[in-house]
Amino acid sequence: MASNEEIQEQLGKREYEAGFVTDIESDTLPPGLNEDVIRHISAIKQEPEWMLNWRLEAYRHWLTMKEPTWAAVDYTPTDYQAISYYSAPKSKDDGPESLDEVDPKLLETYEKLGIPLREQEFLAGVTNVAVDAVFDSVSVATTFKSKLTEAGVIFCPISEAIRDYPELVKQYLGSVVPQKDNFFAALNCAVFTDGSFVYIPKGVRCPMELSTYFRINALNTGQFERTLIIADEGAYVSYLEGCTAPMRDENQLHAAVVELVILDDAEIKYATVQNWYPGDENGVGGIYNFVTKRADCRGDRAKVSWTQVETGSAITWKYPSCILQGDESVGKFFSVAVTTNCQQADTGTKMIHLGKNTKSTIISKGISAGRAQQSYRGLVRMGKNAENARNYTQCDSLLLGDACGAHTFPYVEVKNATATLEHEATTSKIGDEQLFYCQQRGLSEEDAVNMIVNGFCKDVFDELPMEFAVEANRLIEISLEGSVG
Amino acid sequence: MNPVEQARQDALSLFKELGLPNKCNEDWKYTDVSRLEGLLDIGGVGADVHSEGLGMVDLDAYRMVFANGVFDAAQSNLPDAVEIVSLAALEASVSGEESKALAKLFHVSGNEPLVNGLTALNAAIASDGAAVCLADNSVLDKPLYILHVSNQNNAIRHGLMLGENAQAQVIEHFISVGEENALSNCVTAVILKNGASLEHSRLQQEGKKQAHVARVEVKQFRDSSYTFHGIELGASLSRTDLVVSLSEPGASCELNGLFVLDGRQHVDHHTRIDHQAPHCVSRENYRTVLDGRSHGVFNGKVVVHKGAIKTDSSQSNGNLLLSNHAQIDTKPELEIYNDDVKCAHGATVGQLDDKQLFYLRSRGICEEAAQELLVFAFADEILAAMSNQVVRSYVEKAAFAKLPHASDLDGLMG
Repeated sequence: MASNEEIQEQLGKREYEAGFVTDIESDTLPPGLNEDVIRHISAIKQEPEWMLNWRLEAYRHWLTMKEPTWAAVDYTPTDYQAISYYSAPKSKDDGPESLDEVDPKLLETYEKLGIPLREQEFLAGVTNVAVDAVFDSVSVATTFKSKLTEAGVIFCPISEAIRDYPELVKQYLGSVVPQKDNFFAALNCAVFTDGSFVYIPKGVRCPMELSTYFRINALNTGQFERTLIIADEGAYVSYLEGCTAPMRDENQLHAAVVELVILDDAEIKYATVQNWYPGDENGVGGIYNFVTKRADCRGDRAKVSWTQVETGSAITWKYPSCILQGDESVGKFFSVAVTTNCQQADTGTKMIHLGKNTKSTIISKGISAGRAQQSYRGLVRMGKNAENARNYTQCDSLLLGDACGAHTFPYVEVKNATATLEHEATTSKIGDEQLFYCQQRGLSEEDAVNMIVNGFCKDVFDELPMEFAVEANRLIEISLEGSVG
Repeated sequence: MNPVEQARQDALSLFKELGLPNKCNEDWKYTDVSRLEGLLDIGGVGADVHSEGLGMVDLDAYRMVFANGVFDAAQSNLPDAVEIVSLAALEASVSGEESKALAKLFHVSGNEPLVNGLTALNAAIASDGAAVCLADNSVLDKPLYILHVSNQNNAIRHGLMLGENAQAQVIEHFISVGEENALSNCVTAVILKNGASLEHSRLQQEGKKQAHVARVEVKQFRDSSYTFHGIELGASLSRTDLVVSLSEPGASCELNGLFVLDGRQHVDHHTRIDHQAPHCVSRENYRTVLDGRSHGVFNGKVVVHKGAIKTDSSQSNGNLLLSNHAQIDTKPELEIYNDDVKCAHGATVGQLDDKQLFYLRSRGICEEAAQELLVFAFADEILAAMSNQVVRSYVEKAAFAKLPHASDLDGLMG
């Protein structure tokens, strides 16, 4: 993983550069946030007037908001005037020249994950190769694109969608997570620079999982991503975000917004593997990941599932939510969160039952090791009209090491007498008997722990597509390395 | 100013600083106490209210009666050998070192968990209470029954101190006469020394317009055990903060709660158990039965501190909604700073089981009666933990009387 000095150096570099970069045509805007910066971003993206106004409205509201402090995480507040809000593509002399210059620890991890050399270079941000990689992927992307176009699926960067499909974007953007939703979402609305837009037309089953493409698409995505996915009546799509290898990334703050709109009989499966740089053993550096993700089941019988594997980031603040408006709509949340060293995660979900016969399932598995602190914070609300609503929640925590912490804050609010809800939570460490049993059968302590952890996470990994599940498994093994015994 | 007066003065300033809790405070998110604004003054203490023949009359116990927050010696019956006195009398008689010790009972710190303006106000204005101090190795041979009768605002403060290996059973019972819009503000502070054991019941049965706020604070030392039964049947607004700290190894506590509510009743229990030492055990079991437009709130927090290894904690919360206008907000919280623990919690919200209903109906029991029987069975599981059968059957009858078709069932219950 990138050392502290490296990051410091890069941060220093950026500030230095900023001194004389003023031309909007160049790669980087000077640090700071004001209406001009937003106008610049909008101009660079060639956005129509309504979009700019929308951003400015969000920005003006953001100025009146305070950063939330209720989450059980502790960090030095971000100076929003010290960040550069547009720096894409990453300046060419920013990254290492070849793999030799990359932190050997990072490479070791890639090796264990079995990532091909080419891709390693790409992920590590080796500049010379990155261009190649883009070349490679452009051709790959084109083949995908023709297949998708055939099916009528729109899949493009959101800035392209704003230009090419303004009607769709206008209709849905901000309809799930409004501009004024929360501090980070408002900031995102004002300054988002990229992200994905997906539209699946009526009755179409997306011919492929939108995952491989995203890896390429995600290249150089700024720190403020905005994703909007719309599944029209009867449509289906499975979407994978992120990748299992640690991303070398200089950005300190990530404030992304993901909006999912699901109409009658449609289904979206959204899976995330988040492995941003978590900081070093002493908690220096690392990404602050403040994400607002929300799905709106607007139609009857709409279905949505969030699956997340969270192993990275120094601070995670993330609550993928489901608004179950349509009758008989279904929301699911599966999560594995691993925190080690000094990582802190405050994550969970919200299930808002509004329609009749709505169902939701929450399975959350937290693993906390070292000095990490992890919280599950969830809300299940059954509104007055949610006849026969049903929820099942299970959140389990596994503790490794006597200095870590695991906390649960589940809110349950029920206003309907026909609603049924079950909530279960347990916290424990790996039992000595379990370890003894495995070791007695010839497994080393480390293997035994891995096996038990895998068993613990199985309910969630089963929800991931197969290749992803295998990688996720290995990822967790790596994350927990050295925290046993 | 003597230390007690000083402590009360400090509490008053703390109240002025904190004011009434409001919804911006996470601990008061679901409970609005703004209507208490005009009810904070305890005014003409001791206005006459008759307590004769009220409460659990056939309970064989030592009795202490408080009428509008003032000890009524004539209605009371206390043992000679054991130190159970009225707090007001104690306050008037102590001096010097004893006074310093007593001042501790009135000390309120804003940093303690769940302390709020109302807690501070209680320390400042409480008019009386029970001061119980059991010597080491002594056993209170009969339960202590503390009856509170009120028809106006009152504030009361009890201190229960059990010496090493001492044992006692204490029942607090709150009733009001008439239909006054008044506030009872009650605090009970409990200290259990090594090996002491206390069974503490609180039955809140105040009038339909009454508001009731309470704090029960328990500090437990080595191998002590504490059992709590909190029964909420009355009042229109009731809030109890229950704070238990298991401060030495081997301590254990069991908290049971039952709400049976209807109309527009609002009852809120916030419990917090602090596991501060290794090898402590906590059990918590709360159930609510909500009818009409009632609103139940349960927040159960368990904090396992660093070093509290081999902690064993479990919590369960069951909620039965009988009406579409009733509402439940529940939050079982765990905060754990240590790996060698076994903690679990569970919460459910639901309805009666159709199969069970069918079973009863197939045996000739009408639908209403069958429903009532099942509701009663659900609630009674909490009451089964009460060791005193007289108290239990009194509570059962009182809870049962709140169910809408109770009369249909009289025959069945025998």
